[in-house]
Formats: sequence, structure tokens, C-alpha cells
Amino acid sequence: FGIAAYRKYSSGGGYPNVSLSTPLPGIPKPLFASVDGQEKYETKITTLENGLKVASQNKFGEFCTVGLINSGSRHEAKYPSGISHFLEKLAFSSTAQYGSKDEILLTLEKHGGICDCQTSDTTMYAVSAEVKGLDTVVSLLSDAVLQPRLLEEVEMTRMAVRFELEDLNMRPDPEPLLTEMIHAAAYRGNTVGLPRFCPAENVEKIDKKVLHSYLHNYYCPERMVLAGVGVEHEQLVECARKYLLDVRPVWGTSSAADVDLSVAQYTGGIVKMEKDMSDVSLGPTPIPELTHIMIGLESCSFLEEDFIPFAVLNMMMGGGGSFSAGGPGKGMFTRLYLNVLNRHHWMYNATSYHHSYEDSGLLCIHASADPRQVREMVEIITREFIQMGGSAGEMELERAKTQLKSMLMMNLESRPVIFEDVGRQVLSTGKRKLPHELCDLISVTASDIKRVTTKMLRSKPAVAALGDLTELPTYEHIQAALSSKDGRLPRVYRLFR
Amino acid sequence: MAASIQRLTSAGRCLLQRHLVKPGYLNGLPVGPQRLLATPAAQQVALNVPETKVTTLENGLRVASEDSGLTTCTVGLWIDAGSRYENERNNGTAHFLEHMAFKGTRKRSQLDLELEIENMGAHLNAYTSREQTVYYAKAFSKDLPRAVEILADIIQNSTLGEAEIERERGVILREMQEVETNLQEVVFDYLHATAYQSTALGRTILGPTENIKTINRGDLVEYITTHYKGPRIVLAAAGGVCHQELISLAKYHFGKLPSRDQGGAPALPPCHFTGSEIRVRDDKMPLAHIAIAVEAVGWSHPDTLPLMVANTLIGNWDRSFSGGVNLSSKLAQMACQGNLCHSFQSFNTCYTDTGLWGLYMVCEPGTIGDMMHFTQMEWMSLCTSVTESEVARAKNLLKTNMLLHLDGSTPICEDIGRQMLCYSRRIPLHELEARIDAIDANTIKEVCTKYIYNRAPAIAAVGPIEQLPDYNQIRSGMFWMRS
Repeated sequence: FGIAAYRKYSSGGGYPNVSLSTPLPGIPKPLFASVDGQEKYETKITTLENGLKVASQNKFGEFCTVGLINSGSRHEAKYPSGISHFLEKLAFSSTAQYGSKDEILLTLEKHGGICDCQTSDTTMYAVSAEVKGLDTVVSLLSDAVLQPRLLEEVEMTRMAVRFELEDLNMRPDPEPLLTEMIHAAAYRGNTVGLPRFCPAENVEKIDKKVLHSYLHNYYCPERMVLAGVGVEHEQLVECARKYLLDVRPVWGTSSAADVDLSVAQYTGGIVKMEKDMSDVSLGPTPIPELTHIMIGLESCSFLEEDFIPFAVLNMMMGGGGSFSAGGPGKGMFTRLYLNVLNRHHWMYNATSYHHSYEDSGLLCIHASADPRQVREMVEIITREFIQMGGSAGEMELERAKTQLKSMLMMNLESRPVIFEDVGRQVLSTGKRKLPHELCDLISVTASDIKRVTTKMLRSKPAVAALGDLTELPTYEHIQAALSSKDGRLPRVYRLFR
Repeated sequence: MAASIQRLTSAGRCLLQRHLVKPGYLNGLPVGPQRLLATPAAQQVALNVPETKVTTLENGLRVASEDSGLTTCTVGLWIDAGSRYENERNNGTAHFLEHMAFKGTRKRSQLDLELEIENMGAHLNAYTSREQTVYYAKAFSKDLPRAVEILADIIQNSTLGEAEIERERGVILREMQEVETNLQEVVFDYLHATAYQSTALGRTILGPTENIKTINRGDLVEYITTHYKGPRIVLAAAGGVCHQELISLAKYHFGKLPSRDQGGAPALPPCHFTGSEIRVRDDKMPLAHIAIAVEAVGWSHPDTLPLMVANTLIGNWDRSFSGGVNLSSKLAQMACQGNLCHSFQSFNTCYTDTGLWGLYMVCEPGTIGDMMHFTQMEWMSLCTSVTESEVARAKNLLKTNMLLHLDGSTPICEDIGRQMLCYSRRIPLHELEARIDAIDANTIKEVCTKYIYNRAPAIAAVGPIEQLPDYNQIRSGMFWMRS
């Protein structure tokens, strides 16, 4: 026997020596809650006098997720890029009330809470804690967002940002890097095309002054939403009034004088990164050398009606890794599996992604294969783009629609996802489309798919390429393939090779 | 809505899963159902979560579910069978069987099964650990009956065709390569191989290449007939599920499963722990990956919870966290200030009657010695001088992490299934809290002294590890000389 098998239970202190398989004696009988009807996702929205929107959805349970949401890196045009990346790392550091991050964490821990900040096209400061601690949570959020001290933490953040950039380049999974690159190609130098990760040369440039100037312009109440899940709306509004109504941020009253209101300008283009990927493995087992490409075209914003057809199209394309875990349900009958991965076994990955923002969107396909087969791979992908404009089969369309609905509902099982959904929708539209209303909208026909594809194929392609790019066709050829009837690349005659 | 319609490609990675305690679920919270009505009464405590209802069928199969009224649900089979029940010759069978489950049944061809699941917008998944085999489906609540029928079909009527078996060998060998690129998996396999040397827990889940090439239909059939018995199976469900409906579905589809093990249940082979080490030095690798662990206790042992609190006290850290997040962990502060490692993670892996409690770290070659030194110093202070305030903080954090993890139907269903197998019940949240509340600094010191102080650790190290102190030196860091 292992030692553990015949060890006696601990004896010291008041700690009970009762096996976890046996109920603890003397424990009160629990009275469980029971469900009455199905989740309705009812959402209430209030706008305070200063323009701050408070939005919430109740959900019974002992925990809530509450947070402040505002715009992210897309507004950094007039600033050194990387501010949002810094703000994400600096979130919940010392504030006017709290001397250090540790004090904040201690306060939260008393309410069973944790905090988190995430940046993409928006910045979200979120706290999950027991509902009982709502007042403290909102007070803490207000302090963390509006009264940060930004002292020695800035230097520590520089280090963390540098480490993250280093790790980003070391990671065998190139997806985050490619996503960054294709956005830079698609929206050259503007809005959602601005870097999400702080460029290395800006790490030293960003300091308290720059941050304050940015915060002064963008962290004003009318550009923010306080969203809550699992709270009583009236209670949340009351807390918001108490802590977010007449507060003067540390950088002075925001006047939103110098706000960048630019709309995302889709430009298309190419961003290449030549990189030796022959040995990306961190261990003794080699990972085959791969070249990654991502080709995208402009889709539409999530506010437009065509958003749903694009979302269905993205589902229909699907795809994934040629070797990926997971059983049926991962999209085995999506086009990128059927037409690409199942037919061309040398391809390592083919996955469709749809990024959608309040003013534009990008539908793209990521593919990877051996560097020698890049040209062939590019052509396979451009042909898939052209075929999107053909007629979609009834079966595959139905399947994609059902899968989109199930994905939506399954994602919304989780409280932080609901929080994000409430916050983002209210931030950009002032209201929330409820899940079942969205499901009702997923009644897309084959002609809708054809229509949105035709429109999409008129845009200039955005291309990102990473790895050994010797065999990469020129941007003009990719563009020509995407405006042809069959998606084929123009023939190249290479006499001397 | 853009957020909720993002395609989640990472969802459903679960072929191979270990029960590491993963702290820091920075995003999760338990899913609370709507309109939950509960009135407190004397000697009662109101829990704002639905009850986990448990029913045992005549053949011993247990049905356990929690209804939270969602439009989607997770339902699955948790089977008390994993690689631990294998021997040297058939090691890898449980995992092979998991792969064969989706290859067609007497009722459905592989294609039929795949089409049916995909057209329902459902997901079917399976994983094998050292002690458990799990098959589960995620679907719309209205499709619950079909999901249960499919689960019943794939574990009772799998054809196990010779051609499919041959084809699957290649897939599993490919999966093996894939696992080998994940260094954390590699190090944990080495850790088990040394800690539980020459016992069933020391073997891998996938099995050696030779076995993958030779396992045949007979082995698979034998594994099913020996282990897939009513009393060893739990049908668990969460999300929008009605317990009564689930019971009638279970009776209908699983009623014919044999109820008793012929000649009794196979005895669980005991697994000795051996303090020992495995070193795989490779100076071409950029970083060293090291795990060090002592023998802890099994799932249901009362000392599990104090050990989990101790685990939380050591914490986890990654250098891209800013300002040394997780400041509640002293080791994180030291790692951050001294730039001692890229990341570390404290773990407590439990099995039925034994467990591994320790730390996994990823370091640059030059900092291994220091990192190991400070790790052991922290372990020693857990045994001797941990304070009430530190323990109080770790207790809060542990409770938060446990509760926050229960978010969405799949984590809840997994929790139900696993607990039913480990404890034969689901521990109510208030009891779990009461048990954690009863822990104080003395409990931690006593429990840690029992399992950590002056115990011989098992060590697995891969990479440029020249600087890793020799075993005896590490061993002598497991106690303090005091005058």
C-alpha cells in the first residue's frame, strides 16, 4: 500500500476527521432553490445624468459579475500605440483609496471576489463577487478606473509588457500574432487596425502623462457602461449614483475635447513577417516547419443586418486543425474540413474567423502548411472564397444555422459571457438584443449568403503571412485570384528555376 | 452579440485530461438559475443553487442531475475505469476504447453518428484519465432524449470493427506526437513514471507505442465486459434537465447493463509512491521544465482540503502577469522580484487512495537552483510558521476559485460526475464551505508536516537542467535543522 492508504486522519485543531464521502455531522439541512421557467435574459438599462449607462440582467445565484466597459485600442490614433495594452496590465493597481493591488485583492477576497481586465476593441474592467458585496465592488471599480495612481506600477508594467511580447513570439501557436497582422493589413493605420499589443519601441514612450492625456479624453461617463449580471437593477443604479455620478477623475473632469471619432476604414493590403519557423518547438519533439497565411475580406459591422448571414457563412466554412481533439460537433462537415483538410492531407490547418466591430468587419481564413506548398495552399483558400458565392446546399445551411444558435446559447450559459454581451451591446447601441431575438434572426437563406459573398468579394483582400515566404504569391496575384471566376492564381512562367 | 457569436475553436479539447487543481479561473462564476425560490427555516440554510438529485437504478447505475432551466444542457457518462485498471500488456486499452466509441455502432455508422450530432448543433466528446473514462454530450435541452440515446448506443453497441481499429492506431500514434509537444504533459507523465514506478499509476494513459500497435478487438471487448457495469457508471446532467425525464431515459437505455461484477469488482491495484527522480537533460531546449511532488492523499481523505489550502498558499504565477499578480503567494512575489522563473503552478492531483502534491515550474537554466531553493523554503514555512492571516486569505481564495469554476452546464456536469465517482455523493456547497472554514493555521502546519516535512519527493525534470541540485541536496531541503 501507499503510505497514504493507511495513514490516520489528522487529529489537531478543530478540523473534522470525516471522510469527504460522508456528510459532516451537524451541518444544517440545505434548502435548495428550484427553477421556475426558462431563462429570459431580461435586461434593464438606465442612463444617469452624467451620461453613464447602467445595464443589468438579473440571474439568481450568490455571485454577480459587474464591470465598466469602454472603448479600447481603436482610439489610439493620436497616441503612441499600446496604451490599452498598458491599461490592461495596470488595471486594479494602486488607487486613491487603495495603497496597492494587494489591498484591492484583499478587499475583494472578503467578498469571494476576483477582478480582471481585458482589452480588445473595448476595454473591460470586471469584478466577480458575492452579490452581498455589490456596494464595495462598485466603489472599487470606480476607484480603479477613475482614480489610478499610476506610480511605480508603470515601470513594472513595462516589464510585464516586454515579457508578454517575448512570449508571444515564442509561442508555437501563431494565431494571436496573425490576427494582429491581418487587422493591421485590413485597416492600415486606423481604428481596429492599430496594434493591440504594445509595439516594443513604444514601451518606454508610454508614461503617466501620456496615459492621463488618453484617459482624460476617453474615460468620460458618456463613453462608458456599467454592466452587471446577477444583480438587482435598482441596486446597481443606486451604487452607480453613489460612486460614479459626481466623481472627479484623477486627471480632472473629462470634457471629451479631443476625441477620435474616426470610423474604421477598410483598406486591405498585406503584412508579411519573414521568420525562421524551422524550430519553433520548445521541447525535444519537433513541430514541423510551417508557413501561416491569413486571407480576409471586408464583411460588415455587427450592427448591420448582414451580420447574421456573415455569421452563418463563417459557421458554414468552419474548419480547424487537421489534427484536433474533440469529437463530432467540432464542425466536421464544414467546408474547410470537407473541401480542404479532408482532401489535402498536407495541410495542417484551415480555419475561418469572423471579426465584427461596430463599424466594420473582417471574414478571414487562416491556413498553414509546409513552406514549399504555400502557393498551392493560397490557391486552395482563394478558391474557397470564390465558391462561397456559389449556392449553399440546403443541408449545410440548416446545419450552420443550428450550430450558430447552439453556439450562441451555449456561450451564454456562462456569466462573464453574458456580462460581455450586455456591456458591448449597450455601449454600441444603447440597447440589448436578447438571445432569443437573435436566434429568431438566424433565418438566413442561400440567396442571403450569395448576396453578402458577392458584396464581400468586391473588397480588396487583406493578407497576413508568417514564416518562410519564398513561395508566397504576390499580393496582386492573390487579388487577381479573388476577382477571378474560379479563384485560380495567375500562371507564373519561371524560366530560370 | 459579436462576443457571443465568436467562433470558439478551443472549446472541446478534452481527449486527455488530468485533474490538476487549476487555480485562477479569472473569468468564471457558477451559473445561477433564474427565479430560484428558497425560504430559510430554522436549522436550515438556504442555498441559492438548485439541488443535485440522485437516483440509483436497479442495476446500480446512478443518475445525478442539477436543473438550472437553461435552453442547453450537458449530459454524460462518468465511468469508474481508466488506465489504472490496466496491466503492462494492455496499457492503453481504456484510451483506445475511448477512440473507438465514435467509430460506429450496430445502429449507426460513423458517418450517421457524426451527421446526427452535427445537424443537432450538439457536441460529443470523451476523455480518459488514470482513473476515469468520460463520454459526454452538449446539446439543446429539447434534444436531451436523443443525446442520452446516443451515449447509450456508443458505449453498449460499439461495433469495434477490425478495419476501424487498424485505422485508429495511426490516429493514436499521431495524438502521442501531439502530446509530446506539450512539455507540461510530458513532465507530468515522467513524474508519474518515477513516483509510481512499477505500478499502474506510473504508466501513461496512451500506453506505449508497442501496445498501441498490438491492442486488438479482444482486449477492447474484455475491457468493456470487465468494467462497464451499472454500479461503476454515473449518468450526470446539468443545465436545462428534468431529473424525472432523465431517470426514465436511463431506465430505458441503460436498464440492460449488467448489475454486478462477476466475481466481485476487480480490486484496485495498490500503487506505492517512491521518492525518486527522472532527469532528461537537453541543453538545446531554451527552458527547463521541472515538477517536484510528495505523496498526498486520495480524493475522499479529510486531509485533501487542508492540502488544497496549502496548494493555494503556494499559488501560481506567470511572468506576463503584471506587478506579480497573485500577491497572496509569497513564492510569486519572490519569483517576480528575483526573475526566478517564467511560470509556476502548484498542483494537488488526487487518485482514489493516493495523490501528488507539488509544484511545476518553467525556468531559465541559470535560475533553477534559486527557484528550487525558494520553493522548498516556502514549503518548509507551510509546515512550521504559516500565519492565520495567510491561511484565512488562502481559504477565501480557494472557496472563490471552487465556486467560480462552476460556471455553465459543462463544468457543473463534470463536477457532479466526478464527485459521484469520488465521493458517491455531491458535497453541498455549504458543507464544503463549513469544512474549509474549520481549517486554521494549526491544521495547515500539522497536515503539511505530515505529508511534506522530511518526506522524499519525486522529481521529473526536462531541458537544460545542469543546475538542478542533485537528489540528495533537494532531499535535504525537505527539513530544517533547528537548534
